[in-house]
Amino acid sequence: MMPLLEIKNVTKDFGGLKALHEVSMQVNAGEIVSLIGPNGAGKTTLFNCITGTMPPSSGHVTFEDKPLDNLPPYEVAAKGVTRTFQHIRLFNQMTVLDNVMVGNDHRGRTGIFSALIRPPWVAREERKTRQKSLDILSLFGERLLPRLNQQACMLSYANRRRLEIARALVSGPKLLLLDEPTAGMNPHETQGIVDLIRLIRDRGHSILVIEHKMKVVMTVSDRIVVLDHGKKIAEGLPDEIAHNQEVIDAYMGGRRVGN
Amino acid sequence: MPTFIRTLLANLPHIALLALALILPAIIKNQYHLQVVIFIGIYAILVLSLNLLNGYVGLLSIGHAAFYGIGAYASAKLMMEAGLNFPLAMSGAGLISAGFGYLLAKPTLKLSGIYLTLATLGFNMILFLVLQSWMRFTNGPLGIMSIPAPSVFGWEITEKVDYYYLILFLVVMTLFSMQRLLKCRFGRALLAIREDQLAAEAMGVHAARYKTQAFVLAAFYAGIAGSFYAHFVKFISPDSFYINESFILLAMLALGGQGNLIGPVVGAAILILVPEIFRSLQEYRMIVYGSVLVIMMLVRRQGLLGGKAYSLRLSYFDKKKEKEYIRGDKFLPEEQG
Repeated sequence: MMPLLEIKNVTKDFGGLKALHEVSMQVNAGEIVSLIGPNGAGKTTLFNCITGTMPPSSGHVTFEDKPLDNLPPYEVAAKGVTRTFQHIRLFNQMTVLDNVMVGNDHRGRTGIFSALIRPPWVAREERKTRQKSLDILSLFGERLLPRLNQQACMLSYANRRRLEIARALVSGPKLLLLDEPTAGMNPHETQGIVDLIRLIRDRGHSILVIEHKMKVVMTVSDRIVVLDHGKKIAEGLPDEIAHNQEVIDAYMGGRRVGN
Repeated sequence: MPTFIRTLLANLPHIALLALALILPAIIKNQYHLQVVIFIGIYAILVLSLNLLNGYVGLLSIGHAAFYGIGAYASAKLMMEAGLNFPLAMSGAGLISAGFGYLLAKPTLKLSGIYLTLATLGFNMILFLVLQSWMRFTNGPLGIMSIPAPSVFGWEITEKVDYYYLILFLVVMTLFSMQRLLKCRFGRALLAIREDQLAAEAMGVHAARYKTQAFVLAAFYAGIAGSFYAHFVKFISPDSFYINESFILLAMLALGGQGNLIGPVVGAAILILVPEIFRSLQEYRMIVYGSVLVIMMLVRRQGLLGGKAYSLRLSYFDKKKEKEYIRGDKFLPEEQG
């Protein structure tokens, strides 16, 4: 089977520091892959390399057999890869609904002139975007729908995380990158996100998720990739990873410092 | 109730305002007072156009008077030397100004924050110097005199009342077009870029293109205002488009509040009216503008009407169907997260 996302020998260095060193991995269609590793292992850097936020120093990222590296972020998003951020980055002064509707921007055709003249299809397009946004928001049950016209900065922490996922989903990604979606959530809310991740997969989106909570990682993942100090140290099924000596060392600090 | 009646009722405040504006010349008989109102109109358009950049897309421009000046000179030249009629000269002035907006935006939008701001300031300075020293084209510091009065399709605009209705038409068109632009995909994208450009781009928003478009639009509106100014005052000189003009626009925007369409109009009205009322203190008016900026930054940074999405809602199509989704209080109380 052809992989959906293929990362080949990606290296990213900042001056002398190699944040990523020859990392290769794949995500297949319909898969949930977890990316784990201690702090500073390069997980978010890998996300940045995939989405064009920071182009890799060397190596290649291909999505559906087409190169993604050196594309600007908005083109990566249009090709079907969107993400959430580790530190929530919402459009704070905009309403919940507007936040989500921005996700559909790259599909819109309304430009300056059509916005001024307002032919019938502009209103249709606007209604379609709105309907699609409402459909996505309804995946979150009664969390976001009753707050459509609230400003995003007024939401609770957990709801802001949910809103970020909703915004990324509206753009219709084939691959969704989630950067610590359950950070700072209590066990009940975390379970909600786990269910949501499965639901999103069942709706046909593949998912690459960075996660620290082992319980989440072990229950939700089809496959796990482990990074440490910018290198991939292991890859496999949840069971294999749980018993991999190198992974346990990396997490427990069994390895000598500076080696 | 039929939709159009509902729309009518919802827009009642605006209709009342418009009606008041239409009969205003019957109330204000004094020609000088009417002239003050006309200047409010000119500045309302200028501040609204600046608001597109500073308020909506979040680019701080402090050289906006440059586009005002380009519009004024272009319009005067087009009418006096190219022999165009007034509507064509005014549109041409807007387009030329928009073209300069594009030329400035293309290379400078790669700059971020304060560097872009400095580039707009530099542009204003350069334009002033060009107007000042290009004797053959602009007549230098002496300016261009006896610019012909406008006439629109047989309507000879000579009296103050005529000018008043022309500027009223332009202000209404500005508000109407901006409302249409901002209440759809375009406006949403601008706000998203202002709020968080990195996130907006990651969601597929082509930030550079939208910023350029906003810049071009803002320059266009400012050019239209410049054209009106040239044909109203009938005399233009570089001094009218110096940086202090840009700062007056900024003070008006800061006072009125940015990110909505009412604030700029209110800000322009107040800062035109106050110096006129205290005419005897005319020399101190720059002090007034400066203090307004300082006081507003200290007391109410978002401006008098800022912080809320006040809008002249002229179309309600984007408000439909929301209510169905708001299911009262049925939702569970939020867990603390």
